[in-house]
Amino acid sequence: MLVPNSSFSAEQAAGVFAAADEKVWLEGPAGSGKTSVGVARVLRLLEFGVPAESILIFLPQRSLAQPYLEALRAPSGYHGGQVAIHTLGSLSLRMVETFWFLIAEEAGFKHPQDLPTFLSLEMAQYMMSRVIEPLLDQRDYFHSVRIERARLYSQIVDNMNKAALVGFPISEIGARLKSALAAGPEQAHIFDDAQACAQAFREHCLARNLLDFSLYVEVFKQQIMGLPQARAYLRSRCRHLIVDNVEEDNPASHRFLAHLLETCQSALIICDRDAGFRRFLGADPQNARRLRRFCDVSLELKDSVVMGAEMQALSNALAAQLGAAAEAQQADPRLAIISEAHRYHPQMVDWVADQVSRLIAEEGVAPEQIALLAPFLSDALRFGLAEALDKRGIAARSHRPSRALRDEPAARALLALARIAHPHWRLAPPGMDIAFALMTAIDGLDLVRAALLTEMLYRGGKLHPFADIQSAAMQDRITFELGQRYDALYTWIQRYIDAKQTLALDIFFRRLFGEVLSRVGFGFHRDVDAGNISMNLVDSARGFRWSLEFMSRYDEPVDLGLEYVKMVDRGLIANFYLRDWLADSDGAALIAPAYTFLLSNRAVDYQFWLNIGSDGWSRRLYQPLTHPHVLSLQWPAGAVWTDDDERELDRRTLRSLLLALTRRCRRAVYLGYSELSESGYEGRGLLLETLQAALRRLPREEAHV
Amino acid sequence: MKLSADFAFTQGSLGDYADCPRRFELRYLRRMRYPALEVRQALDYEARIRKGQRFHKLLQQHLLGVPADLLARSLADDDELRAWWEIALSKGLDGLPRERRAETTLESSLAGQRLLAKYDLLALEPGGEAVIIDWKTGARLPLRKALANRMQTVVYRYVLASAGAQIYGGPIPPERIRMDYVYVAAGGARLSFPYSAAQMEADETRLTDMVGAIDAAAEFPLTEDERRCRFCNYRSYCDRGEAGDFNDFDFDDAEEDEDALALDFDQIAEIEF
Repeated sequence: MLVPNSSFSAEQAAGVFAAADEKVWLEGPAGSGKTSVGVARVLRLLEFGVPAESILIFLPQRSLAQPYLEALRAPSGYHGGQVAIHTLGSLSLRMVETFWFLIAEEAGFKHPQDLPTFLSLEMAQYMMSRVIEPLLDQRDYFHSVRIERARLYSQIVDNMNKAALVGFPISEIGARLKSALAAGPEQAHIFDDAQACAQAFREHCLARNLLDFSLYVEVFKQQIMGLPQARAYLRSRCRHLIVDNVEEDNPASHRFLAHLLETCQSALIICDRDAGFRRFLGADPQNARRLRRFCDVSLELKDSVVMGAEMQALSNALAAQLGAAAEAQQADPRLAIISEAHRYHPQMVDWVADQVSRLIAEEGVAPEQIALLAPFLSDALRFGLAEALDKRGIAARSHRPSRALRDEPAARALLALARIAHPHWRLAPPGMDIAFALMTAIDGLDLVRAALLTEMLYRGGKLHPFADIQSAAMQDRITFELGQRYDALYTWIQRYIDAKQTLALDIFFRRLFGEVLSRVGFGFHRDVDAGNISMNLVDSARGFRWSLEFMSRYDEPVDLGLEYVKMVDRGLIANFYLRDWLADSDGAALIAPAYTFLLSNRAVDYQFWLNIGSDGWSRRLYQPLTHPHVLSLQWPAGAVWTDDDERELDRRTLRSLLLALTRRCRRAVYLGYSELSESGYEGRGLLLETLQAALRRLPREEAHV
Repeated sequence: MKLSADFAFTQGSLGDYADCPRRFELRYLRRMRYPALEVRQALDYEARIRKGQRFHKLLQQHLLGVPADLLARSLADDDELRAWWEIALSKGLDGLPRERRAETTLESSLAGQRLLAKYDLLALEPGGEAVIIDWKTGARLPLRKALANRMQTVVYRYVLASAGAQIYGGPIPPERIRMDYVYVAAGGARLSFPYSAAQMEADETRLTDMVGAIDAAAEFPLTEDERRCRFCNYRSYCDRGEAGDFNDFDFDDAEEDEDALALDFDQIAEIEF
């Protein structure tokens, strides 16, 4: 038997053991056991004899698939076909790729007989830059906007994604933003420019068979869904639907699911109450609820199987403070909070590390049951925490999406060495980059000696052999052994330059990695992180090469290596790989932005909320070219976004974030506060205000805090 | 070290273990990605892998309903691929049972672990034959004995026999199963391997022993046969020489690794800008 009968509440059992032709809507707060129902339901269907390949598990993001994958791979599992797990993006891409030659012409692509090129986030930004940069220079677009160009491009990409997900033509982006947000002609111009750029990018893509996320979702909706072969395929593969976290999905997913629900045999639609924190990625919880009408049965789970009574009380108190209906408290929420105020930020970091150490050493908490969360994770905070934990012998792992590729030390080292090895690019790196590259590349070389080597042996954009150091004392200081390693690296690069046979840049990285940097005596030897980051860089450079090689059918060829390095220099936001996120969670505390933690949808025993004075906990990112709410299905046409809307949004954002966090915390939240923030300012954001107000409302009694 | 909860054995991972336990450990237990080159002639290797992947994709598209003439139009600039395609259409599908399933995956349990096989094509006739077709684009035909002993032949037939009941409409007698390797670059030469209950029992013993050995292993030693390191990208991790030569590489293995070189869009999360 795959599914034990006894481990579920009555409500859960009703979802798990529903008939094989029933459609069930299941709702409840995070941590109430909904995903357990979803997982058991899949196993139950297989037990019924439903063919695995007729089951589709549909999720808003891939990271949520883990509990399903693990259950399906359990040793006592079924024998048969494979259950499909998809997001809207993955299914759209797969279907467009498969049926491309049947739909390319109708979809408006200029070369329907050629293969399509699908663009990752990185490539979409690059292609966008190729289209837009001439416009910025020639037509003075966005002249009053002061943000990095990479963020400018990515916000235009974001607008196009919203159009595809919400369901309006890209030609309406500018008008929608203007009617809600344009306070004057200057702002109206910005939105006009954003509109023109989106249109230019779309035309560029159609002329070259390029498909960014917005375009392949659009083609899936418009062309694929009308194709008899594709419909037949989907009908056979989607007879039984399991949809989890439907509230985090977007209107395009909801429309697709509505279509499937009309014809599928059974369904379980799982909705997380009070959630929808992925609004910035198009989540629309209100729209999700419309799917309820397709279901025969509606079930609700109320009780958390994660939170203790005190944590539940804290969750309620914070939500009530931010406008949710107050619930009678069964416990004292103060017992779920531990805090200590500090004057300076480093003191807070030390206190956090001490508390983590105490939890592990004295209370036997497993490190992976501790999450250190901040609204944003700066390099300084990440480094400070990792160092403080390391000093106490605690392993930590951190994940930060939305990071530039060049920010990772291993990638930076490879890129700096590539610049030296390609003098014809005329992009010799500054000395400090070389010093860091040498320190990263050569095992045992510290920054002081790396800087000395750079000072003595890096001249005119070239490295020179170790023997060029005239002073024996200086050679001794570097050490003969490190000098030999330096020479091995220098010789490899010099031979490459002398051979005058420029390799594709990704191949260059792979050779440099395999022939030098991963060898004994070098910095990447047996270093798992360096290997993974190098591989991500290789993937990125290779994807770039493939796309541009294919583009040479339509455009003038460019120096691919040079073009790639320039792109990275522009601060391209790297693809964020889920495999890095999911790997090796055992034995290490997590350091992450709060929303990144929520991506994994897992609960921990203890959370540390850092920088609670920061307004980043409630404020949305500064996005002058886009707006997740105005470009949503729920925004009334013609309405104007006001300061009151912004304040209300702050409150709603914080409420859903705090509910999401507390419902994924079993025992206690530690609050990390310093009067002066990392940058030396006093912060009094909405989270701090909310915590103080919520605690003040409680009856006076001996405080735990 | 434990296998991850979502791990399933495949012919590739078992083949890796048979070649070198250390490689198995690095690739599947530690999930270490390592960008060193497999062969010195990296671009030739890449082009060859991509062509093989495109060929497999073409057949999948065709079997899902995209007309052959439409697909053929996209091959105008690649004579070799067009030749493979024409041979696959003219010879590869001859005489097969009518119900055809492209790119189908079956999963089975074995010795407390999952075992998975991803088929290029399954052609079945309920009550009749169950044929596994595996397209190969290598120009050299391997020795029949080597192919019979190959982990792919062992795993694919065993998994179909043990997990194919639902798509066949009942348990498949092993004698009804046949695995055909079709070598499109060798004029469509077909090497067929019938199955039997005795062979299935022998395969089960072999696979159970291997899976059991991996499960129980406390150490994953490096192979002593350095020839096996020539095309292994962990060579520098183990201090084992230089990349091998393209002309000596067996593409039959690489063809089964659909992740080779592909950028997996599923792995890329959406982020806020």
